[in-house]
Amino acid sequence: MTLLQARNVSKNFGGVQALRDVSFDLPESAVIGLIGPNGSGKSTLLNIIAGLEKPTSGIVKLDGKRIDNLRANRVVRYGLVKTHQIPKPFSNMTARENVAVAVLYGRRNIHSPRPALEEAHSILALVGMESKRDVAADRLTVQEKKKVELARAIATGASILLLDEVFAGLSPGELKDSIQLFRKLHDELRFSVLVVEHVMRAVLTLSQKVMVLEEGRIIATGSPDEVVHDEKVIQAYLGSKNPAA
Amino acid sequence: MNLRKPGLTLYGLFIVMALLAAAALLLGVAVSSILVFLLIYAALAYSINFITGMIGYVDFGHVLFMAIGSYALATLVSYFGANPLIGVGAGAMLGLVFALGIGLVILRFRGVYFAIATVVLVLAAYNIVLQLPQLGEGGEIIFNLTFQPLAPYFTIWTIVLIEIALTYYVNRSRIGFGIRAIKSEEDAASSVGVNPQRLKLIGYMLGGLFAGAAGGVYAWSTSGVTAGPAFDFTVSLLMLAMIIIGGVGTSIGPLLGAVVVYIPSYFLLTSVAQAQPLLIGLLVIIMALFLPDGIVGLLRRSNKRLRLALE
Repeated sequence: MTLLQARNVSKNFGGVQALRDVSFDLPESAVIGLIGPNGSGKSTLLNIIAGLEKPTSGIVKLDGKRIDNLRANRVVRYGLVKTHQIPKPFSNMTARENVAVAVLYGRRNIHSPRPALEEAHSILALVGMESKRDVAADRLTVQEKKKVELARAIATGASILLLDEVFAGLSPGELKDSIQLFRKLHDELRFSVLVVEHVMRAVLTLSQKVMVLEEGRIIATGSPDEVVHDEKVIQAYLGSKNPAA
Repeated sequence: MNLRKPGLTLYGLFIVMALLAAAALLLGVAVSSILVFLLIYAALAYSINFITGMIGYVDFGHVLFMAIGSYALATLVSYFGANPLIGVGAGAMLGLVFALGIGLVILRFRGVYFAIATVVLVLAAYNIVLQLPQLGEGGEIIFNLTFQPLAPYFTIWTIVLIEIALTYYVNRSRIGFGIRAIKSEEDAASSVGVNPQRLKLIGYMLGGLFAGAAGGVYAWSTSGVTAGPAFDFTVSLLMLAMIIIGGVGTSIGPLLGAVVVYIPSYFLLTSVAQAQPLLIGLLVIIMALFLPDGIVGLLRRSNKRLRLALE
């Protein structure tokens, strides 16, 4: 069964075509990687799916229902959430309160703060942040902030996660931990993921399928191994002035 | 937010309010006619706290809702001979309705753009009032009521009591979590399911409602309204000063701020009235530089037990 479908999504910013006729399916529990040089339209695509921007044309459907005309906070209720490239914790709250906001507003079953805080506690435990639960969010390290961001996304109860560069800016050790954590969470929660990433090691190890964007078009789709040996992909990366990986 | 220890802040505030009620009843007219303005200040501080303190949208035009309340009461009392209490109720309702209409438009702006829009609104409203003959020459309506200081006193007392309870409740409820999230990162809040537009509108409407009510009581206590003072920009600044000094967003901060701003100004009025805005301005700068969380923040830092108890 297909969960998320994009059909002929295009986006123009003034005269610039950021996305041209992008179509893909994200099946249930799948992990799809989205790579491409800087400025190829990866973030724009994620923003459109998450309801932060509207497509110029094209359709995005979730379980058959159109979501391309909904705002971000409505899209979350349909079960799709996006993390931010630069983590945006609520700095006036503790880690646990950060996650509690997502519990209170992302799902429909918990409405009062006390049970929400308890639920937030167990979600933080899931991402290995239990010991930091009462630390003010602005005192966390970058990796910890990213974990809070991930915990917040999971806490909304969403079944589809759009992860925008969650593995960027981590040390090799942290990267290894994060990849392990991602695997563990995916095995337990079985969410489907569209992951935008510059860190090739992470994308290639985690994704079952990889899509390559260049100048707003999908130029290749396939297994990680197929994609890295694709002539067009090699050209897109090595031919650009500013290779990203 | 410490949900497990309910009450201390709330009980403390209720005790203060009980003392204020007793003071008026026992010490009589002279005291209540001084304290009524303290309570009006507190009501205004709590009202702006709903939008600026809790949600972080700086409202330089909050005096607009106070003016709306003042004109509502003055019109009803002087032209229709209505009971002032009805005037206060009408002021509150008009404040709410205007906040709804204005908020739907200007809450789409963020940061400094929102702040500028609020300033422009007050200027526009002031000039509209001057053009309306129904609101008197120069926007002045004066009326005569039998001198009864206890009635407005207990009206504003009740309004402040409701504001305290509501502030306390909102801060601890689901809505409080959403509001604090918006204050910190509006986009991130929206991407975990918070509807910022709705929560901002609720905050702004509460602000309009209570500022309208306080404006009604103000006109009641001063037996009239005049456009110049009613739309005075410095009154908006005074409201902001009170919550900054007391502690933004908290349940106890607005009352503390009102006391700190009002009590000295009452005594200074006779000696150095001109210096009053200067002194308050200096105090706000010092607080902003060294105590961004106001007096509440200072008390919280000074003592661990206070840190948990003060909300």
